[in-house]
Amino acid sequence: MATEAAAAIPGEIRAGKREMTQARAVRRFKWSVLSVFIALMVGVLGPVLFLQLYFSFHDFSIYLGSWWDAEFAGLEIFEEVVTDPRLGIAIVRSVLFAAGSTLGCFVIGFGLALLMYRPFRGQALFYIVFILPMLTVPIVIAYTGEMLLYQKGPLNDVLSWISGQDVNVIWLANARMALTTVMLLEIWNWVPFSFIIMIAGLASLPKEPQEAAQILGASKWRIFLEIQLPLLRPVIILAIILRFLEAMAEFPKAWSLFQGGPGSATETIPIYLYITTWQYFEVSKGAAMSYVVMMIMIAIVLAAIYFLRREKRALDEMYGAADEDRAG
Amino acid sequence: MSKFSRRDVVKGGLTVASLSALPVGIPGLAWGATENEKIIAAAKGAGGGDLKGMIWSNYYVAMTPSMERFKQATGIGVGSIQDISIFVIPQRAMAEALSRSPEFDFFHVDSNMIPSLASAGLLEPLDGYMKKADFSIDAVGTYGNFMRYKGNTYGVPTDGNVHVQFTRKDLMENPDEQKRFEDKHGKKLAYPVTWEDDQQLMEFFHRPDQELWGSANLRNRANGVTWWYMYFYSAGGFPFDDDMNPTLDTPAGRYAVETYLNIKKVSHPEAPGWGTPQMIPRITTGKAFACQYWDGIIALNENPKKSKTAGKWHYSLAPGSKFSGKLIHRAISSPLGAILVNKYSKNKEKAAYMAMWWGSLKNSEEIVADRVNTFHDPWHTGHMTSDAVKTAYTPGGIAAIETSLKVASPPIYLTGYLEFQDQLAKNLSEAYVGQKKADRVLKDTEEAWAKIVKRIGKRRLKKELGSYKAVFPKVDVPT
Amino acid sequence: MAMSRARKKTVFEVGRYTILVIWLLIVAFPMFWVISTSFKPDHEWFAWPPVYWSQEPTLNNYLNVWTDYSEYEDTQYIKSLQKPWIALRNSLIISLTSTFLAVGFGAILAYGVSRYRILSETRMFQLLMLRMVPPIVVVAPLSLYYSTLGLLDTVIGLVIVYFLTTLPYAVWMTKSFIDEVPREVEQAAMILGASRWRTIWEVVLPLVRSGLVATFLFILILTWSEYLLALILSKTEVVTLPVELSKYEGSTEGRVYGRQAALAVGVTIPLVIIGVFIRKHLARGFSFGMVRR
Repeated sequence: MATEAAAAIPGEIRAGKREMTQARAVRRFKWSVLSVFIALMVGVLGPVLFLQLYFSFHDFSIYLGSWWDAEFAGLEIFEEVVTDPRLGIAIVRSVLFAAGSTLGCFVIGFGLALLMYRPFRGQALFYIVFILPMLTVPIVIAYTGEMLLYQKGPLNDVLSWISGQDVNVIWLANARMALTTVMLLEIWNWVPFSFIIMIAGLASLPKEPQEAAQILGASKWRIFLEIQLPLLRPVIILAIILRFLEAMAEFPKAWSLFQGGPGSATETIPIYLYITTWQYFEVSKGAAMSYVVMMIMIAIVLAAIYFLRREKRALDEMYGAADEDRAG
Repeated sequence: MSKFSRRDVVKGGLTVASLSALPVGIPGLAWGATENEKIIAAAKGAGGGDLKGMIWSNYYVAMTPSMERFKQATGIGVGSIQDISIFVIPQRAMAEALSRSPEFDFFHVDSNMIPSLASAGLLEPLDGYMKKADFSIDAVGTYGNFMRYKGNTYGVPTDGNVHVQFTRKDLMENPDEQKRFEDKHGKKLAYPVTWEDDQQLMEFFHRPDQELWGSANLRNRANGVTWWYMYFYSAGGFPFDDDMNPTLDTPAGRYAVETYLNIKKVSHPEAPGWGTPQMIPRITTGKAFACQYWDGIIALNENPKKSKTAGKWHYSLAPGSKFSGKLIHRAISSPLGAILVNKYSKNKEKAAYMAMWWGSLKNSEEIVADRVNTFHDPWHTGHMTSDAVKTAYTPGGIAAIETSLKVASPPIYLTGYLEFQDQLAKNLSEAYVGQKKADRVLKDTEEAWAKIVKRIGKRRLKKELGSYKAVFPKVDVPT
Repeated sequence: MAMSRARKKTVFEVGRYTILVIWLLIVAFPMFWVISTSFKPDHEWFAWPPVYWSQEPTLNNYLNVWTDYSEYEDTQYIKSLQKPWIALRNSLIISLTSTFLAVGFGAILAYGVSRYRILSETRMFQLLMLRMVPPIVVVAPLSLYYSTLGLLDTVIGLVIVYFLTTLPYAVWMTKSFIDEVPREVEQAAMILGASRWRTIWEVVLPLVRSGLVATFLFILILTWSEYLLALILSKTEVVTLPVELSKYEGSTEGRVYGRQAALAVGVTIPLVIIGVFIRKHLARGFSFGMVRR
């Protein structure tokens, strides 16, 4: 519907173009685009957030009548959520999971990008294969993981063959291992994301400073640490932040492999929220919990935005200065 | 004697029913009409039309031939289904209750959800319709009470899930094994009567180096709790007192937790992650010595095309316990597939007749005896004497099912079943994998349950205790 | 003592290829396993030692999943009632529509931001929040709200949420491309008398085509594989492929890995084909304006 609305406008604009000043045209353009977006936000997200708020403050139980008759509960439900140790543990688990998988994705992705950003024989083949995991549906990864990871399954078999020892890792049923298992699958799935971002970043680095440093006799390692890395910082921060936030929301793999078990080893925020709302039908508690989680996520996003903006500004200034130099 | 005559009646019924494929259409049938004819006659008054149901295709496939016949006779059939796992349907049905949606006409779901779904206002009582069609649920023992809640009938069973003891006959009858067992334990090798016997046998036959594990009981978070109920109930336990205070942290409760955790010694190290999809292949390929398992697996075990262990199993009543001073057997029944009707549906009357049609002896016999689609298990008194069902389940299997059904017991048959159960399941699973000390399981669960009772309402739940207790069998040791 | 330059280079090359080949194998092994399993008869799905190459390769899994092949029943398997073709059609309609809308609208919005700053930098970053809040936190009230609107279990319902949740990426990614197009090009076109909309459609968009393609693919990946929202907002009509896939979770014989794999191959192939064709555009799309050239 967005394009319909947008497509209806050109005629009008063209007709009235001459009478309108440039500023008015821009304003008109701005609102014709934004109004569609705002309408959708207000029409869909507005009521949803309102309902969420309603449930958070009303003690609704599905067994006691309709939801619009629920009793006002004030801050009681929030109090229950904030003091729920299970949520606290779930948050810690989610952060550990997101941090671990982000680090894994980044280190591997950056490493591969460093090896590959200059042309070499076979580059295209490696590139195609390396992006494949990202093109795979997470549910497929979960079920494939299950097939591969049984104690008497192919992965342990291959590892035994390589190491020459009997490898018997219990990937799917050990409370200490389960979260790591999901993490490894998440890393396998999303290394391509970091890889692509980093390879784009490396490929676009200006050659001049490196050449200058080389002439001055700097070692490759120093060039990397002192010239390339600082220039890459914005891209690195971007790759890490986006991946971290997406990993906080990971649901399909953890759910279809573990449903929170064994014990409660894989009960991350999305899983605990799902269980609360769809298994315990504690709609009110789920709603209040959602708000708490949203606040946490927004805090993380705001911090992320702060870093991203700082980097972007620095980048703009640097390139702005470079452009002026070139122009001058 | 009585069995013989009942079987004749069944056979007679089948002939009449096959004749009645001709349009009958006389309203208010005369005395002597068969069960199916009466349902058809009543359904004709409700008008035709396609129904929409929430049902797993693994169950539904076996029910399609009888559905087609009903459609021909009355115009009532099934148009589309939401095909999702029976373990997911409770959640989705509850979502329907939340939005009071008339979209689905029936739900095929674990009947232990009846209190929760009825409290949420989703379910239509079927007694009125059943009266019109002169239909009654003729189930073994007190099994029909699983469909009743606060004086109403809310469902028609299609599936008689009950846990039966599976023991490897070939190993038990091996003279070498018998001698070794006698030398070691000073008593004869015999099929287990109590949980202690069961544990001893499983430990004796636990040989991981030969790819044979003592136990194939589930210990994952979702299903493991099912076994705990059997230990608890057979030790004389009941989870609440008359004032709805949890009574888990009692001698019976602690005994049940201990029995539950003991199995770890004889289980595969991956057991805490395995559900039915992983465990069933291990049973049928002979990698386990014994278990209590859903009776449907009997038909799979005994099907030589699918199983390597056909003819090697002995089926019997699940063990009991003498913990309370006398021997009590309690076989768990969950999930138990039944057709429930949506109160908000415009087609609720039609859906009710469809449910009865599937629950009639003739049609349910066909559904249950299907050897490929082994998801529906026997429950009707007539199934116990049916030749077709006996072929699928073996006479020994049927005998075990019949005795087990006589002591079939529910999980938590109260509003809030899933909430209660998952708290217990989570704590048990945590203890099993070492995240929690065994003595905290019951204390933590009691705390969580007290909160759930408070949330749902003590007075409300107290009124349900009667229905819960009524589901329990009246006998302790069935014959 | 110091290695010669040529020798150093050889060592580096050997090291590089070793590492790349190791990662290649790590990436390829699970994929090989899915494909290999899809050709295995049932007794090889769950065998020890694992069966790498099927001894009796069969097409039964594909036939059973993707056709009404009935001979499968002879092997005593539950007849499949799944409808992968309908799920495939739903997935195609939903993900293509929402991706097209998100990228199209995102590009226009991005153009406005790039040229006229119709959104401030702060607003642009706030837009990212739309994506960064996990969908699980809104899915319950959303399903209730949708059911009152009659949007539950409809194509439009899913398209709207996918549009909203992927828009931030669409805007950010396309903006980085539009930023690279010199303003002089547009000014020239406008001086020649083209309207603003014609300039956008006929001058700017073609110049950023490769970027749009990359954005399109990335968003298509996200919507094509989305699971949670599709699971909860669908009932009988708009079942998508990931949800369809999760239905093969079990039967009396245990997990039906072969059939799951046969379906998984079909689910993955469309994206892989697109990905391979446009791989060159991908790298540029992912820099979110943090990379300059």
